[in-house]
Amino acid sequence: MTPGVRKLALTAHVTCSVGWLGAVAGSLPLAVAGLTSQDAQTVRAVYLTMELTGWYVLIPFSLASLLTGLVQSLGTVWGLFRHYWVLTKLLMNVVATLVLLLYMQTLGRLADVAGETAVSSSDPRGLRDPSPVLHAAAALLLLLVATALAVYKPRGMTRYGRRKQHERRTVSQPAT
Amino acid sequence: MANSPPDPDIGDEDGFLPEHADTPRWVQVFGLIALVLVLLVIIMLLAGRGGHGPGRHTVGGGGPTPAAGPIQLP
Repeated sequence: MTPGVRKLALTAHVTCSVGWLGAVAGSLPLAVAGLTSQDAQTVRAVYLTMELTGWYVLIPFSLASLLTGLVQSLGTVWGLFRHYWVLTKLLMNVVATLVLLLYMQTLGRLADVAGETAVSSSDPRGLRDPSPVLHAAAALLLLLVATALAVYKPRGMTRYGRRKQHERRTVSQPAT
Repeated sequence: MANSPPDPDIGDEDGFLPEHADTPRWVQVFGLIALVLVLLVIIMLLAGRGGHGPGRHTVGGGGPTPAAGPIQLP
């Protein structure tokens, strides 16, 4: 990639990844409100909002973060499997995206229950579910760690990375 | 500029990045944490709680869903 394209790809990746982090950070207080609020309408609104946020903010950002991350790593010398921090971020991103996609079924079920007219009670206890809090908190922690990895770029090359770099050195600095 | 520091995103002036033969300690720590989390998830799945598959989560932390018993309007 040219320097201009590389910066554009990096900007896209940072935007998507930080956007995902921000959306998860916004989901956490919603999930806490859904678990602790005494108002049934608030609890119902929380789960309906969380489902919409999941489909239209979290999933697009997670997939875009994964895609732009692949472009960013494959288009630069960092590579995808050469450095432990890149590989770790990739695994974290894939796991988080898969868990999110699977968890949308649960959020959908919660939203369905919250949206049912027969469940419009003043007692929200039957609607409460601790799983959104657990998932949002775990996702927030994971994305914070991923962000720290991206900023600090801790040292360490994989065996594959060392071999590829050795090959590049051999090509660029042939023995005289 | 000829003397500008190497760009951390593309490596040194030759495009090469620092090379270390050993697996860094942070990778070992991350691997250990990942192993513990995977074991925890497996234990939770075997215990019949948690997980992310369809039907694993139910409203109320594993009890019957409110839809099974409609709540009366106040």
